[in-house]
Amino acid sequence: MAVVTLERISKRYPGGDELAVDDVTFTVDDGEFMVLLGPSGCGKSTTLRMVAGLEAVSSGTLAIDGVVMNSVPARDRDIAMVFQSYALYPHMTARDNMAFGLKRRRMPAAERERRVAEVAEMLDLTPYLGRKPHALSGGQRQRVALGRAIVRDPKVFLFDEPLSNLDAALRVSTRNELIKLHQRLGATMIYVTHDQVEAMTMGTRICIMNRGRLVQVGPPLGVYRDPADTFVARFLGNPPMNLMEAAMLDGPTVRVGEATMPLPSRVDPSRLPRTGGRVTFGIRPEDLYEQPPADIAERTAPLPVRVTGIEPLGAETLLLVVPDNTEQEIIARVDRNSTARPGDRVVLGLDTASAHLFDADSGVTLDRH
Amino acid sequence: MIVFVTPALLMYAAFTAYPVIRTFWNSVHIIRPGGRTEFVGLDHYVELFANDDIFFRAVTNTLTWAGVAPLIDVGVGLLLALCLYARVPFARIFRVAWFTPVLISYVVVAILWMWIYNYDWGVANMLLRSVGLEDWQQTWIGHPDTALWSLIFAHAWKWAGFNMVVCLAAIHALPREVLEAAELDNCGWFHKLVFIIVPMIRPTLVNLLILAFIGKMRVFDLVWIMTGGGPMWSTETVSTYVYKRAFEWNTFDLGYPSTVAAIWFIVVLCCVLGLTWLFRQRDRLEY
Amino acid sequence: MRDTLSTRFLGRTVLLAILALYTCYSAGPFLWIASMSLRTTSEISANAYALPETLHWEKYIEAWTGSNYGTYFWNSTIVVVSAVLALTIIGAMAAHCLARYRFPGNRVVLFVIFSTLIFPPQITIISLFQSLVEYRLYDTLLGLTLVYIAIQLPLTVYILEGFFARIPQDLYDAAKVDGYSHWEIFWKITMPVGMPAIATTVILNFINLWNEFLYAVVLITDESNRTLPLGVQKFMGDQLEDIGMISTGLMIAIVPVIVVYAFFSEKLIQGMTAGAVK
Repeated sequence: MAVVTLERISKRYPGGDELAVDDVTFTVDDGEFMVLLGPSGCGKSTTLRMVAGLEAVSSGTLAIDGVVMNSVPARDRDIAMVFQSYALYPHMTARDNMAFGLKRRRMPAAERERRVAEVAEMLDLTPYLGRKPHALSGGQRQRVALGRAIVRDPKVFLFDEPLSNLDAALRVSTRNELIKLHQRLGATMIYVTHDQVEAMTMGTRICIMNRGRLVQVGPPLGVYRDPADTFVARFLGNPPMNLMEAAMLDGPTVRVGEATMPLPSRVDPSRLPRTGGRVTFGIRPEDLYEQPPADIAERTAPLPVRVTGIEPLGAETLLLVVPDNTEQEIIARVDRNSTARPGDRVVLGLDTASAHLFDADSGVTLDRH
Repeated sequence: MIVFVTPALLMYAAFTAYPVIRTFWNSVHIIRPGGRTEFVGLDHYVELFANDDIFFRAVTNTLTWAGVAPLIDVGVGLLLALCLYARVPFARIFRVAWFTPVLISYVVVAILWMWIYNYDWGVANMLLRSVGLEDWQQTWIGHPDTALWSLIFAHAWKWAGFNMVVCLAAIHALPREVLEAAELDNCGWFHKLVFIIVPMIRPTLVNLLILAFIGKMRVFDLVWIMTGGGPMWSTETVSTYVYKRAFEWNTFDLGYPSTVAAIWFIVVLCCVLGLTWLFRQRDRLEY
Repeated sequence: MRDTLSTRFLGRTVLLAILALYTCYSAGPFLWIASMSLRTTSEISANAYALPETLHWEKYIEAWTGSNYGTYFWNSTIVVVSAVLALTIIGAMAAHCLARYRFPGNRVVLFVIFSTLIFPPQITIISLFQSLVEYRLYDTLLGLTLVYIAIQLPLTVYILEGFFARIPQDLYDAAKVDGYSHWEIFWKITMPVGMPAIATTVILNFINLWNEFLYAVVLITDESNRTLPLGVQKFMGDQLEDIGMISTGLMIAIVPVIVVYAFFSEKLIQGMTAGAVK
């Protein structure tokens, strides 16, 4: 049970001229599953390792339950970590791997045995306790690593891309197990990943980082719906949000390709450029329709496009289209029964209520906060 | 394709396999200068086991050396490697400096250490005098009680750096995350060493121990120059004894030293097999 | 908080002190000899540990001209260079064959060669002496070179085989598809790709043979055939108690090694430890 607070945390590696982590502030609440998400090299792992105490904090304050942890060595922070490579001790059995941390904390043998047995039962590891890591499958190793963290009953669980060494099917099932585990333990967890699906499905909140900076924190769907800038807009969602150049017209209205539409209601008018200025217009592929359903038909704007490619995915079909009067290829997620062919000219319905506007230069959203 | 391996096999046959066989043949003959040979059966072997006190002295010395020195060499090497692993400044320079003795020939090392052990102006006694321990002064390699240990010490000076480099490489090859996991599991540096690092680099340590053992079982150069096996046979090794019997003593017989060599060959083979079996890796370490 | 700043500082100070002490122990003897090599014996008997007051560089000239150091260096160079050359080619060929071709007895040959690594030298040295005498190779540089090739061959094959066996098979398949002959595969694939391992064995063999003493002392007697280690021993014998001059002689043997080491330290360390690192 713990609250982890990061306040203006920065990390500079010796000899590096750029900050690996730059002025990051966020709080992980008690019992929360916080996901740190970002592309490789964005500083998310470094942030996690600073929480763990494996890297020194260059500046800022790191606190667990209000106690400043900056100079507390890793082993005294009462945290447990699951590593990407599992980091099991190769010369110890699964049982010893799990018991080792307890032994080093001088827990009585009986209590230790009981805890290991209990956790092994929970993770279906009981038959494998006598095996060494090399005799375990990837998924079993992963569970031993998890078990090693759970038996410790730490204040905070840290996960550093723990699923990335598993194959696709195992990754999905382990993901679900982790979600259940979090619900069951109710512990504070911080989870680093570069996989947006993991972030969306597992996190109670997501913390998105880019180039060492924190870009946005929020619940998964909130971040998906209201991205703070074009980076988040492109990073979350597959296929990513379509971004197009657009012009401000009188009204005020905005013009994209051949479509002219009123401003989305969420936009903050005071932050818009003046008439004739440029903005970046964002629309998710699922908000473009071949035949808009009746309930939203009235708020769609017609967008004439030329079809350049189709990708039938089975459950749905992706249309690659170029809006008239532009050069840019965008993607629309349409019904699987679509009959469009490359070269066709069609008019898509664009859901204006779901459109986003971003500053053309900085990429920051122009929405109201 | 077999052509590729032929030159090596020919060299091997002529300069390794044939001499080994010939040594065994020698060991049941008396071989006098000029090629006059006489078959004596197992006489040499009987003589060796029944009467040759010097041989047993040499065996004791060599086995002492081979038993103790690997532990010193590898132990010191491991400790030095850990010091450098603790991210000290100038680690690279230390590493290069400590390795230097490995490259220096035994002849030079021997002369150097003869001087270090010199009674009047050697470093060893000078240091003792400077801290007021005049009574502890020794003739080091001139006294039967201290000579062997003095040689072992000098030998360790040459080899510690070698073991240090190999240990350091092995430690650096350990996965970083495992060491970090140990840190989170409440291990200080000492426990990390005992419970994690040593078990994980065990294959390297065993390798080094066996390598050092083989090296000590054949030690010759240092002894030959520093003490010649003396005083009073106290530093005689099997190597120096074979050399003396074959080329120094006027016994004019190459048969008997061949017997010594043959027996020693079998001893070394058995010891190495025994050690390998003793330290065999019960299962693989995978990380 | 067990690990406070001051205990950590103390720990590091102790650690650095140990490192410094060990460095004195390890490097000190060299400095001692270096300083003595520039001082006369009478100066040394007055105080064995003083720094040189006047640098007697002329002692080096005296040591060189008053001895056969030129011959020793030349002999060592001839023997070691030709042995290393031959070792590299013969060893690489054998290693290539053992690593890349499967033939009956392949594993047996490997095992026999590897087990030779543990043989004590006594087991061959007497009969080698006999054989070389019989073939009139005793006390010749050629004889010593042949023996040197033989004693380093197992280790060379051991290291090279290990490396060659890890070269991806695809490379060889591609070469075969391109119509390379066995010889061309050896010269154009194995040798260039295996260069790091070959460099390693060259270094290892060079240093080991340059310092070799036992076989040289048994197989060489004539002054004009002495290699450097024998020469140094002879020099020490000739100078009797002239400590200053012996120091100079030792330095003449040490300096080339140190100079090479200063330029290629990492390569040398890597080469010397190649057989031990797994």
